[in-house]
Amino acid sequence: MATAVLPQPVQNLINELARLPGIGPKSAARLTFFLLRDGSNQALELADALRDLKERTRFCSVCFNITENDPCQICDDDERDQELLCVVEEPLDMLALERSRAYNGRYHILHGAISPVEGIGPEDLKVDELIHRVQNGSFRELILATNPTLEGESTALYLKRILAGNDIRITGLARGLSVGGDLEYTDEITLGRALDGRSDL
Amino acid sequence: MHIKHLSLTNFRNYGRLELPLPAGAVVLQGNNAQGKTNLLEAVYYLATSRSPQAGSDQQLINWTAAESGEPIIVGRINAQVETQTGGRIIEMRLIRERNEGRHRPYSFRREAVVNRRTVRLMDLLGNVRVVLFLPQDIQLITGSPSGRRRYMDTVLCQMDKRYCRDLSHYNKALEQRNALLRQLAEGTGRRDTLPIFTDKVVELGSRLFVRRASFMYELGREAQRIHYEHLTSGNESIRLHYLPRLQENGLNRGGTVSQLTALSDFLYKNEMDAGVVGEYFQSIMQATLSADLARGITSTGPHRDDWMIEINGRDLSYFGSRGQQRSGILSLKLAEIDWVTTQTNDPPVLLLDEVAAELDGQRRALLLEYVKHAAQALLTATDSDQFPNDFMDRATLLTVANGRVR
Ligand SMILES: Nc1ncnc2c1ncn2[C@@H]1O[C@H](COP(=O)(O)OP(=O)(O)O)[C@@H](O)[C@H]1O
Ligand SMILES: [Mg+2]
Ligand SMILES: [Zn+2]
Repeated sequence: MATAVLPQPVQNLINELARLPGIGPKSAARLTFFLLRDGSNQALELADALRDLKERTRFCSVCFNITENDPCQICDDDERDQELLCVVEEPLDMLALERSRAYNGRYHILHGAISPVEGIGPEDLKVDELIHRVQNGSFRELILATNPTLEGESTALYLKRILAGNDIRITGLARGLSVGGDLEYTDEITLGRALDGRSDL
Repeated sequence: MHIKHLSLTNFRNYGRLELPLPAGAVVLQGNNAQGKTNLLEAVYYLATSRSPQAGSDQQLINWTAAESGEPIIVGRINAQVETQTGGRIIEMRLIRERNEGRHRPYSFRREAVVNRRTVRLMDLLGNVRVVLFLPQDIQLITGSPSGRRRYMDTVLCQMDKRYCRDLSHYNKALEQRNALLRQLAEGTGRRDTLPIFTDKVVELGSRLFVRRASFMYELGREAQRIHYEHLTSGNESIRLHYLPRLQENGLNRGGTVSQLTALSDFLYKNEMDAGVVGEYFQSIMQATLSADLARGITSTGPHRDDWMIEINGRDLSYFGSRGQQRSGILSLKLAEIDWVTTQTNDPPVLLLDEVAAELDGQRRALLLEYVKHAAQALLTATDSDQFPNDFMDRATLLTVANGRVR
């Protein structure tokens, strides 16, 4: 006796979706049947978007930002300061700094932070590429803008260690008060760091 | 300080509780399995973000509510607290969230609220300070070192946010270093990143060492006084020894007193200078490096600390009678009340679970003396007859029955 099975294309999509982070077999099935029943072209539009994502983007070969063109807009921009290099963990960190409009130098994206617990070492990040850039470039300052987490700070310390000896100033972001915040409601750790990093007015 | 009002939602066997509380001694009386301990647990959890029994947050949520089909279940502990510096409302929420596609269908997220503002969990600590007495406190003396470390951490975290943050960062740094050591032992992993995590462990660990040393020194001095003057009428002398794991081979408890105290004295004297301690800790880390690499684990550091009580020159856990051990732990807990009070100028809330029944004579009289002078004390008992009449005359009596309090 034959038992009912899902057609292979349906089962394939369920399997693929279920492999995504945060999506379990149930949600995968729900999404699949939604796309199956949908009368408009939504499924095909999604398929195009997915294909473009892989086919029309790549990593910039200089800074490892995600880009359509290599080198990316920022690396290609002669107006930007050639001697200033800011190191971040992820492309989204770079976008956040860009939104501030306070920075006009170059970037280097590590694609993560050192974390032995997750099996991530320097060799899994764009660290060798950074060393190469620093040794062959003419940067006067390197800003280590990793996250203020244990992993981010450890990564910055590691980079500082292996890049020391190159004739370059190495800095980190100031840790401090949030703008529009209340001193009264600021926790003492942030307040302590802000005091340590106070500046002349 | 004292709690003016406690409200519970879906916590253990309480579906919903609104309980105004007076200052002073409050006796919670009731048969077994009615919710007396659960009530103290709720207050303790709000104060420390830990449960007295190790276990998952899941167990704290009311079963009936947790099994209902509701998408979001919120367990809630809320308290209005009066302190020397004013009132505040603090709340801990346990929010159920669906876990798609993982082996456990739900997990619980904790959320802390102070005066209606969501804060970090760490910022909830210290808003109400408690000292907890349990019948099983004696296990602090006879049990494993991890229980004794948890004791230091719980008391210090209520008092000192910086300590609490350092502790949580230390544990993360240690976890990273151990993962790396394991990889190096297996022939993978990058050796040149090890100094980074070693330095982090040393930096944060040194701060834990000095903080624990000064705390244990002050607590020990107080416990010694209480024990000698009030508990044994000058017959017994106890001393508290902090045993920092800051040497190549663990200190053995049979060691001489001068060996035991040398390191904690060193830490206490260098309280103001974590740098000196850091240098020393770093040198020990270098000395144990090859052993750590071979075993794939960090062998020295505050995560291996211990402490002990010495009575008339001997180790209380080995040589003390049951009665002496009870007195020792009572002196320690009473010292904790005095220590918290002097540190903050605001006496803590006392939580006593069935302890009156456990104690007799001088021990019980002394404990009740502390309770009488407390800003607030919540005591449980199966029968209020366990307390002397003159004590009950001044206490408030409440009855706990099946998740309700009258
Ligand atoms: N998550 C929970 N949901 C509902 N009931 C619970 C939960 N956890 C424990 N209980 C119940 O609480 C009761 C124990 O309450 P407890 O406070 O320890 O009693 P006692 O008054 O003896 O101190 C038991 O009946 C137990 O079944
Ligand atoms: Mg009980
Ligand atoms: Zn680029």
